[in-house]
Amino acid sequence: MLKVLRLFLTVALLVTVTGCGDQRILERLGFIQTTSYDLAPRKENESEQKLMISVTIPRPDSGSGSGSGSGSGSGTGGVNREFLTAISSTSKESRIILSRQTELQLVSGQLRNTLFGLSLAKQGIWKHIDTLVRDPSISPRVKITVVNGNAHDLLTKNYPFHPRTGQYIDRMLEKESLSQIVPKTSLYQFTKDYFDDGIDPIAPIIKEVGDSVKIDGIALFRKDRYIMRIDPKQSIIFALMRADITQGEISVDLSGENRNNEHVTLSSLVSHRSVKVTPRKGNFHVDINIKVSGSVLEYIGVLDLEKNKDRSTIEKLVSQYIRTDAEQLIANMQQNRIDSLGLGKNIRSTLSYAKWHKMNWPDTYRNIDVQCHVKVQIKDYGMFTK
Amino acid sequence: MKWSRGTYNPPGTDNKQEDNKQTDDANVPASLQHTLDNFKDCTDLIHHTFPEINVNLVYFGHLVGSDELFRDVITPLTNVRENEVQALLTRNQYKLTPDSKSLIKGILNGQAAIFHNDKAYLIDIYKPGSRSIEQSETETVITGPHDSFIETATANLSLIRRRVKSSHLKVIKLEVGEVSKSTVYLLYIDGIANMEYVRELTDRINLIEVDAVYDGNMLIQYIDDSPNSVFPLFSTTERVDTAVSKLVAGRIVGILDGSPSVFAAPSSFFEFMASPDDYYQRWSTGTAIRVLRFIALIITLTFTALYVSVTTYHYEMIPEALLLTITESRSKVPFPPIYEALLMEITIELLREAGARLPTKIGQTIGIVGGIVIGQAAVQAGFTSNILIIAVASSAIASFVIPSYVMSASIRLIRFGLIIMAGILGDLGIALGIAYLVVHLSGLTSLNSSYLTPVSPNNFNDWRDVFIRAPFWALTRRPTQSRSPNAVRNRMRK
Repeated sequence: MLKVLRLFLTVALLVTVTGCGDQRILERLGFIQTTSYDLAPRKENESEQKLMISVTIPRPDSGSGSGSGSGSGSGTGGVNREFLTAISSTSKESRIILSRQTELQLVSGQLRNTLFGLSLAKQGIWKHIDTLVRDPSISPRVKITVVNGNAHDLLTKNYPFHPRTGQYIDRMLEKESLSQIVPKTSLYQFTKDYFDDGIDPIAPIIKEVGDSVKIDGIALFRKDRYIMRIDPKQSIIFALMRADITQGEISVDLSGENRNNEHVTLSSLVSHRSVKVTPRKGNFHVDINIKVSGSVLEYIGVLDLEKNKDRSTIEKLVSQYIRTDAEQLIANMQQNRIDSLGLGKNIRSTLSYAKWHKMNWPDTYRNIDVQCHVKVQIKDYGMFTK
Repeated sequence: MKWSRGTYNPPGTDNKQEDNKQTDDANVPASLQHTLDNFKDCTDLIHHTFPEINVNLVYFGHLVGSDELFRDVITPLTNVRENEVQALLTRNQYKLTPDSKSLIKGILNGQAAIFHNDKAYLIDIYKPGSRSIEQSETETVITGPHDSFIETATANLSLIRRRVKSSHLKVIKLEVGEVSKSTVYLLYIDGIANMEYVRELTDRINLIEVDAVYDGNMLIQYIDDSPNSVFPLFSTTERVDTAVSKLVAGRIVGILDGSPSVFAAPSSFFEFMASPDDYYQRWSTGTAIRVLRFIALIITLTFTALYVSVTTYHYEMIPEALLLTITESRSKVPFPPIYEALLMEITIELLREAGARLPTKIGQTIGIVGGIVIGQAAVQAGFTSNILIIAVASSAIASFVIPSYVMSASIRLIRFGLIIMAGILGDLGIALGIAYLVVHLSGLTSLNSSYLTPVSPNNFNDWRDVFIRAPFWALTRRPTQSRSPNAVRNRMRK
C-alpha cells in the first residue's frame, strides 16, 4: 500500500511540479531560420550605434495567399515566411521587440544561418557570436556568413525561381562548400579559430545580384573584424593551402604562364597539404607542400593529352599557376597581418610556450618567409582515345 | 505473492470444508452405496447392474470410449458365470481399489468402477471427446510443422512423445484445483534439465490452492516469480516444435489438461522475441528477421512517445524539411500532442480489441471502418495530424511483429506509460521511462533465474541465439539459463 502511495506521489509530483511550463508545442512556435545583423542607420541625437536585426520565420502556407510571403509560383511547396525587423542595442533585446510583432513564440533552435552586413563585420562581430554560442538551443553548426552590402536588404527580398530566401542561401552555401568554393564556417569553427592562437577565422561572403544571390568569395577576419576578401576564382587555391581537400574543381587559364588561349579544368581534386617550419635567426621559413591529383575535365590547347610528356607539361604548368597565385595570396595576407591559413599554429608547435608567448605573432607573421611547393598529378584524362 | 518457501499463505478458505470431507473419504472403504451417495444428483452417471453375477458397474458415459467399454467390460462380464467373475477381475487391467477416495477420483477421471462382493475395481477406459489437431491460430509459421496442441493433455503428450523418442523424457503428473482437479504434466529430459528447477516447479504447483485453473497462461500466473509485473515470466506456446525445442534446451515444459497453451520454464525476456521460423530459414535470413523484431520492439515502445515529446518540447530535433510538414499538419489540431496521441492510441486499441472479439467476417468490417474511415476522417476533420496517424499505425504494426501475443500486449501497455511520460517531461521522460523499464526487467526472475539472461548476467556465447540466429554449427551449447548438467548440444564441426 505504501509502495502504491509512493508511486502515486512520484507521478503526482512529476505532473504538478514540472507544471508543463516549458512546453514548446510545435504549431505555436516561430522558428527563426535566418537572422541578419546590420548597423542601423544612425539618427541625429543618438550617441549609441544601434543594430538592425531581422529574422525570417518559415510558416506553412495558410492557403489564403497572404501577400507578405515568399515569391509565389516559385515552387516552394506552398511555404510562406514571416519577416520581422527590430532596431535595438543588443541582439537579445531585439528578440523582445521582435516578439511583440508576432503571435508565435520565437525560438532559435532551428536557426541555420546568420548573416552579417559588411559594415558591421568591419566593426567586429564577436559580441553577437558570443550571444549565439551561449544559447544552448542554438546548434554549433549554425553558419556564419558575411553579406557584401546590407544583410537586411538581402534577406528581406524574395527571389523568384528560388526557394524561401533563408533556405535558398543555406542550401547554396551547403552545396558550394562541398566543392571548396566557400569554407564551411560554422559557429563552432568560427569560435574555435577566434580563440585559437595562430589562426584567424574566415567566412563565406554572399552578395545580392538582381534576382538571385551570388557567392562572392571568402571573408578573412583578423580576430573578429573583417579585413579582406578572396575572390571566388581563387577560393580553391585558398582551400588547397588551408587544408586537405577531397573534392573540388579548378579552372586554369594558362595565359599567365606564357601559353595563350590554353585552358585546362581539373576536377575530382584530392589534395594533401603539409607545412614545414624551419627557424631561421629570429625569423621563420615556412614551406607549404601541396600535392594535388585530379582528372582533366577539359583541355583546350595544342598539347596532346595522350602523350605522357605533354601531360607532364600540363601538370607543371598548372603547378606553376597554383604556386604563383598561392604565393601572391599569402603575400597579400601577410601585408594585412591576417593568418587565415593557420601558419601560426604550425610555428607555435615548433616552439616552447614561453617563446611563443614572448613573440609578437602578428608582427612576426608579416616577415616570415613563406614558400609554396605544388605538385599536380593528372590521374586520368577521360575515356576517349584517338 | 513472491515465491519464497515457507512464508506462503494459502489464498482462499473455501476449500477447507472439502478438504475435511476428502480426508474422511480416504478412510471409508470403497462401497457401491457410498459411491452412489457421493454422486447423488449426478444424472450423467451410468449405473449398470448384472444381478446374475452380482456385479455393479458405475461410470460416466461421456468420459469413456464405447468401444473400450464393450471390449474390456461389458463383453467379458456378460460372458462369464458368477464363479468366474473373481478370476476375471484379477486380470491386471482391473485394479483393486480399497478406499473410496481413489475410487471416486478414478470415476471422475474416466475409469469404470466394477463392484463385486464388497470389492471395487477400476478399469481405465478413458476416451474423452476432443477436437482434432489443427494449425495454431496465434502462432503461425510459414514453413515448418503446422500441428499444434489441443485441449486434451494426453493428445498433447503424445504429440511430444512422437517427437522425442527417448526414455529420458520424464513426465511428472500433478493436480491443480480443489474443485476442477485438473491434471498438470511436467515434462523434462533427464540428464539435460536441471533437477533443481524441476523440484522448484513441482513445489510451486503443489502449493497452488485455488478452486480451478482453466488455461496454461492462467496457471503460470499462479506460479511465476512476480505476479505483479506486466511481463509474462514463463513463455507459453501452442506449437509442438517450440515446446520440444524448449525441452531439448533443458527447460521444463508444463501441460495443463484442458488448455492448448503449454508453458516452459525458466524463460528469459528474449525468448519471447524468437519465432520457430527463425530456425527454419537460412541463418542469415533468420538473423535479419530477428534484428527486425528488435527494431520493431523499439518502434512500438517509443515511436508515438517520440512524436509527443518532439512536438511538445524538442522542436530542435526535427529536420528542416520535415519541420513545416509537421507544423502544417499540427496547425489544425485543437489538442496538445499528448491528448492527440492518447486519443489515437486508444482508438487503435479499441479497433484491435473489437477485431479480436468479433467473428472473422465482421472483423474485416472493423478493419475498414477503423483503418480507412476513422483514420482518413480524423485527419480531414482536423482531429489529429496525419504524421501522428503514421506514428500510431506503425507502432501498432510493429507491436504485432512480436511473436508472443502475451508479450506484445504487455509492450503495448507499457507504451502508454511512455507516451504519458513523454507528454510530461519530453525526451527526459522517455529516458526515465525506459530506465525504469530496464531496472524493472533486471529485477525480474523466472524460476529464480534472471529474466534478462544472457544480457544480465552477461554471456556473449548465448547472444548467438538471442540477438542473431547464428548458423547451427555455431550453436554448440544449451542456453546458460537452463543450467543444464549437459550443456553441449552440438559436437559437429563446421
